[in-house]
Amino acid sequence: MSERGTGGGEARAGRSWSLTKHARDNLTAYTFLAPFLIIFLVFLVYPVVYSLYLAMHQVPADSFDVFGGLQFVGFKNFIKLFTDVKFWWSVAMTLYYAVLIIPAGIAASLTLALLLNNRLKAVAVYRSAFFLPYVLDMLVVGIVWTLIYSPHVGILVQFFESIGITAFTEKGFLGMPGSAMPSVVFANVLKGAGFGMILYLSAIQNISPSLYEAAEIDGATPWQRFTRITLPLVKPITFFMVIIGTISALNAFVEVYAMTSGGPNVDVGGRALGATWVTGYYVFDAFYNQWRLGYASAMSYVLLALTVIVSLVNRKFLGSDNT
Amino acid sequence: MAVQRTSVWKTIALYVGLTAAAIVVLFPFFWMVVTAFKEPGQAFSTELFPTGPTISNFKRVLGDFGFGRYFVNSVIVATTAAAFATLFASLAGYVFAKKQFFMRDRLFGLLLLSLMIPGMMYVVPQFAIITKLGWMNTYKAMIIPHLANVFGLFLMRQYMLTIPSELIEAAEMDGASERQVFTTIMVPLSIPIIATLFLLTFQFHWNNFLWQLIVTNVERLYTVPVGLAMFKSAHEELYTLKMAGSCISILPIAVLFFFAQRYFIEGMTMGAVKE
Repeated sequence: MSERGTGGGEARAGRSWSLTKHARDNLTAYTFLAPFLIIFLVFLVYPVVYSLYLAMHQVPADSFDVFGGLQFVGFKNFIKLFTDVKFWWSVAMTLYYAVLIIPAGIAASLTLALLLNNRLKAVAVYRSAFFLPYVLDMLVVGIVWTLIYSPHVGILVQFFESIGITAFTEKGFLGMPGSAMPSVVFANVLKGAGFGMILYLSAIQNISPSLYEAAEIDGATPWQRFTRITLPLVKPITFFMVIIGTISALNAFVEVYAMTSGGPNVDVGGRALGATWVTGYYVFDAFYNQWRLGYASAMSYVLLALTVIVSLVNRKFLGSDNT
Repeated sequence: MAVQRTSVWKTIALYVGLTAAAIVVLFPFFWMVVTAFKEPGQAFSTELFPTGPTISNFKRVLGDFGFGRYFVNSVIVATTAAAFATLFASLAGYVFAKKQFFMRDRLFGLLLLSLMIPGMMYVVPQFAIITKLGWMNTYKAMIIPHLANVFGLFLMRQYMLTIPSELIEAAEMDGASERQVFTTIMVPLSIPIIATLFLLTFQFHWNNFLWQLIVTNVERLYTVPVGLAMFKSAHEELYTLKMAGSCISILPIAVLFFFAQRYFIEGMTMGAVKE
């Protein structure tokens, strides 16, 4: 990046009044920055601090004045969180979500990219078609899939029946603990594949054709060319896909809200736990449905901690590989 | 890749593969549109094209169920928010790209760092702030908290770095004020990225369902996604109406994408592999 180059103009501007010029530059710069910075500080920095404050408080059970009557409880929310089975379950479900969506997302994106990486006339049309769902609303996509997945009458259930599979008929794909999470992930993968596709496509198109030509002369099969040339050379994109897959798992909410509301319930040692009960949804549920602001805040802090850990781990991987 | 001589069979196979993939990826949207045009009684028929399509579902959601109003709200929120978010990001992007100032690089680092914070983190404290400000059930509550778009600022800065500083120096030499430099040099030369950011922020706010759900609880202020979610929980069984509402919800973004897909695709993937 050329950060150094841009300051040159100011430095040449004459020594005698450089201080006033310096001060004036700062003033103009911060004037231009002001609207952005004010919003940033009030609505993006302060909330992170304020959230910690909220995490150390709770709304008293008998109080309707949510913010007037906040009670200081210290680390009680955090302690409760660490003994909350439902919370650890949600972390496990978030992990499960990530484990499903990362490989599926990579496979779908890479497949689409490989299909598009050919000189065909209509390639641009297909590229747009694959990318389109990525810009559309997750809520709508989720609602449409609940129709497709629905029991008895849903088109997918009817399709499976026509080929002799009736296992999903009774409860639908979202109503069974085993298939609920994969179904949510499947809907999301189809929606998001166009994004990874573009990244893979540009990486593949940057690979020098001479590599493939040389491999062909040496008698490499198409599969060998893919695994020995293409895959290693798109590795940075694959790493990136792992990061965004993890982040989308940690942020998963709208798809769960639209399709399953965290359910269906599974019986785990006498406790009913949701098969799609991801942490993002638990935060929402604690806040919006149960009105436990402090608890939800404490949970979101753990979510932040998880995100930071994931980023640090990824950075370590990326740092050693990318340069 | 080596694609000098693509054989006819390979071409056919590729088109079959591409078409199959497109069918799978777009099927949900196809099914949404088809169902929206069905009579309520036929909601679950497996015919790929309804016999006797009807627009009564659209009439009902727009008229009886208030989606017309929701649509207007969505347009107001998304347009205003996109305009201001783009303006603020270009003002800030300009100084990050072209000015030296106190704490510049540290500030930029802090901004980028904030991109890492999960969105769910903000829900509770932002809601608390909005409540304390007395902004519940207002347009400004839906708009203002998301006007500092850090990713947008990053895109702006990257783009504006490529504008030659000599142009700015020359204009300053001719006595142009800072404001004039911005409006007569930076903005005209940054039109593509401004358009990109406007579209991306419009799309973001159009789809910003969770936040809009949290800060509104009166129907008069629902946006389309919020209205759709409320409709979904109140009338779970009215599938054809739900699909009509869904169509209305995604139509504007689909249309924008149709006309400006290059901006969408480039803008969304631009920041991804950089750094």
